[in-house]
Amino acid sequence: MSSAFERPPAYSGIWHPDAIEEIQEKAELGRYQIRGQATKRHNLPSFDDLVFTPAGLSRMPLEGYRERCDTEVVIGEGRVSRPLVLERPIMIAGMSFGALSVNAKRALGIAATRCGISTCTGEGGMHPEEREHSSKLVMQYLPSRYGMNPYDLKKADMIEIGAGQGAKPGTGGVLLGLKMSEEVAKMRDLPMGVDQRSGCRHPDWMGADDLYMKLEQIREVTNYEVPISIKVGAARIANDVRIACKADVDAIVFDGMEGGTAASPTIQLDHAGIPTIAAIAEAVEALHDMGKQDEIKLIVGGGIKNGADAAKAIALGADVVYLGTAPIIALNCHAPIYIEDYERLGTTPYECQHCHTGLCPVGITTQLPKLMARLDVDEAADRVTNFLNAMTMEIQLFARSCGKNKVADLDPNDMRSLTQDVAMMTGIPMVGLNGRQPWWTKF
Amino acid sequence: MANVETLVIDCLDKPTRDINNLIRQAADDGVPAVEILNTRARHNIGVGILKPIHLIYRGHVGYYTVGLCDGVTAEIHGSSGWGVGDNLLAGEVVVEGNAASSAAPSIRGGSIVVKGNAGPRAGIYLKSGDLTVGGDAGYMSGFMMQNGRMIVCGNAAKGLGDSMYQGQIWLGGKAEEMGSGVTEADAEPGELDAVLETLERHQIKAPKAFRKLQSDRSLWNFNKHDFAAWKDAL
Ligand SMILES: Cc1cc2nc3c(=O)[nH]c(=O)nc-3n(C[C@H](O)[C@H](O)[C@H](O)COP(=O)(O)O)c2cc1C
Ligand code: SF4
Repeated sequence: MSSAFERPPAYSGIWHPDAIEEIQEKAELGRYQIRGQATKRHNLPSFDDLVFTPAGLSRMPLEGYRERCDTEVVIGEGRVSRPLVLERPIMIAGMSFGALSVNAKRALGIAATRCGISTCTGEGGMHPEEREHSSKLVMQYLPSRYGMNPYDLKKADMIEIGAGQGAKPGTGGVLLGLKMSEEVAKMRDLPMGVDQRSGCRHPDWMGADDLYMKLEQIREVTNYEVPISIKVGAARIANDVRIACKADVDAIVFDGMEGGTAASPTIQLDHAGIPTIAAIAEAVEALHDMGKQDEIKLIVGGGIKNGADAAKAIALGADVVYLGTAPIIALNCHAPIYIEDYERLGTTPYECQHCHTGLCPVGITTQLPKLMARLDVDEAADRVTNFLNAMTMEIQLFARSCGKNKVADLDPNDMRSLTQDVAMMTGIPMVGLNGRQPWWTKF
Repeated sequence: MANVETLVIDCLDKPTRDINNLIRQAADDGVPAVEILNTRARHNIGVGILKPIHLIYRGHVGYYTVGLCDGVTAEIHGSSGWGVGDNLLAGEVVVEGNAASSAAPSIRGGSIVVKGNAGPRAGIYLKSGDLTVGGDAGYMSGFMMQNGRMIVCGNAAKGLGDSMYQGQIWLGGKAEEMGSGVTEADAEPGELDAVLETLERHQIKAPKAFRKLQSDRSLWNFNKHDFAAWKDAL
C-alpha cells in the first residue's frame, strides 16, 4: 500500500543500483559495455514537450474524410534526373544486413514498397533480396566500404554518404563475431567470427573540399541520375550543414542522440550527440542561413515513434522523418512471445536490448536460421504496413486540424511549447504566453 | 604508347562530365585506348568505367582517378592526388610519379602500382588485390587492411598495417613503428618470387631483402587480458 510519506530509497543518488551494476559488469568484462536499441535516458527534451494548436475560429480545419492532404516529398527535384519521390514524408533508416536478418530486410522492403517510401541498405552492402523487395532503395556509402561496388551504386535510388549516426556519433560500426554468418562475412570481405569494428572516417576524404570531390565522383558513377544525401550524428549541426551545403548534397540526414542501433558502446548512447528536437531547430536555422532551405531536404531521425513526433518534426522544418526502431518494433521486436528466450538473455520484452548478441528472440537481429524462421515475412510486412499507414494518418490528422492541405505546410506557428527548455531550443513560444509576454504587461 | 586506335581527349576545354562520358562511350564502342591530355591535376577523370579500356594520362591527376572502375588499365605519366584507384574491382593502374594520401583505398581486386612514394594511408581498407609502392609509404599505410597484398620497397611511417585483419605487407625498408596487431611471418614457398616478379614487370628496383608482415590476429576478438593492444583498438 502506498503512503503519502513514502521513504526515499535508502541507496545513494550516485551509487544507485544501476551504477553499481555497471561498474561490476565492467569489472568482469574489462571493456566498455555494448548493447543494442537506444539510449535509456528518461530526461531528454522530447517532441512530447510540444503541442499543436489546431484551428478554431481564427482558422478553418480541413475535413478529415473528404479533403486531400498531400504527403509527398521529392528529394533532388530539379537537381538530378531521377529524383526520389516519397509518397509519404517517411523513410526506413539504414539498417545493415548483418545487424538485421534477411527476413527482416524483406519484410521492411515489402512494407515500404506498399507505402511508396524507401528503405536503406545500411552498412555491409546491398543484399539482392533487399533490392528485389524495395522499390525505392537508398544505398549507404560508408567509411568501411563493405560490399561497395559501382554496379550496386548504379542500382540504387539514392546514395547516402554515411558520416556518423546518432547512437554513436564519431565512432564506427560494431558487429560482434558471435553475430556473424558466412554470408555476412563474405559480403564484407571479412574472416568469420571477428569482432568487426568499422572505420569511422572515410578512407579517402577528410575535409569539406574533399567531400565536394567525393560527391562529384559518386555523381559521375551514377550519371547524375539519383540524389545524394549525407548522414551525420547530430552534434555540431551548424558547421556540418555549412559543409554539406558546400558539397552540394541533395539532402542532409541528422540522427539525434535517441537514434537506434544494433550495437553501440552504452556510454556513447547515453552521453554523446544532441537530442533530435534540438538538432532540427539548429539545422533549419543553418539551412536558412545558407539560403538552401528550399533546395536541400532535411531528413531527421532518432526516437520518432508516432505521427505526432513526425508531424512536430515537420512543423519544425524537417522534410522527412527517418525511422529505425519503430518499424523494428512493428516487425515484432519486444513482442511478448518466446519469453523463455528473452529470459535466457537475462531480459524481458520491453527491456530487451540484446540486438548485439545475434540471439534476438523474435528473429529480427539475428543470423541464426532457427531464430530467423520465427519472423514470418508476410505477417511482419503486414504489421509494418499497418503501422506506417496509421502513422501517416496521424500526421495528416494534425495537418488537417491545423488547416493545411499539405503536410509540408505545417510550420512552427502551428505549435506551442509545454516547457521552457523546449521553448528556448526551438523558439516555439510557451503555452499560455501568446507571444511570450505575460498578458498583464499590457495593462 | 598511343597508337592509331587511340582516342585523344584534351581536358582543357571540357567539363569532367563530358570527359568521362567520352571515355565510357569509347569503352562501349570497343576503342582499346584513350590518351588524356592536359589533365592538370583534374579530379575524377576516368571514374565509373565498367568496360575494359586502357587510359593514358599525360600529366598529373587529381583525386579518385580510375575510382570505382572495373577492368580498366591505366598509366599515369605524372603524380596522382588522393584515392587513386579507389574501390577498383579489377584492372591495373600504374602511377609513374608519387601518389598522395590513401592510394588504392578499399580496392577489391586488380593492382595499383605507384613507382614513387605513396602518402599516408596507402592501402587503407585494402580488401583484395595488390598495391605496390616503389618508394616509401606514409603514416598508417595498410590501416585495417582486410586482405590482398601491399608491397612497400622503401620505408614506412608510423602505424604500418595497423589493425589489419588479413593479407600481407611486404616491406623492403624500415617501419618507423608497426601498427597494432602486426607481426612478422615466414614467407611461404613462391611468395617472394611473386613479389619480385611484380617489381620486375614494372621495372621497379627491388630492395636487398623483404620482410613479410601480417596480422597476429590479436585484434580479431576482444581479449581483456591484452588491454595494452585493445586500449588503442576498440
Ligand atoms: C538494427 C539497427 C541497425 C542499424 N544499422 C545502421 C547502419 O548500418 N548504418 C547507419 O548509418 N545507421 C544504422 N542504424 C541507425 C539508423 O539508420 C537510424 O539512424 C536510427 O535507427 C534512427 O533512430 P530510431 O531508431 O530511433 O528511429 C541502425 C539502427 C538499428 C536499429
Ligand atoms: S527483441 Fe530482438 S530486435 Fe528487439 S531489442 Fe531484443 S534483440 Fe533487439
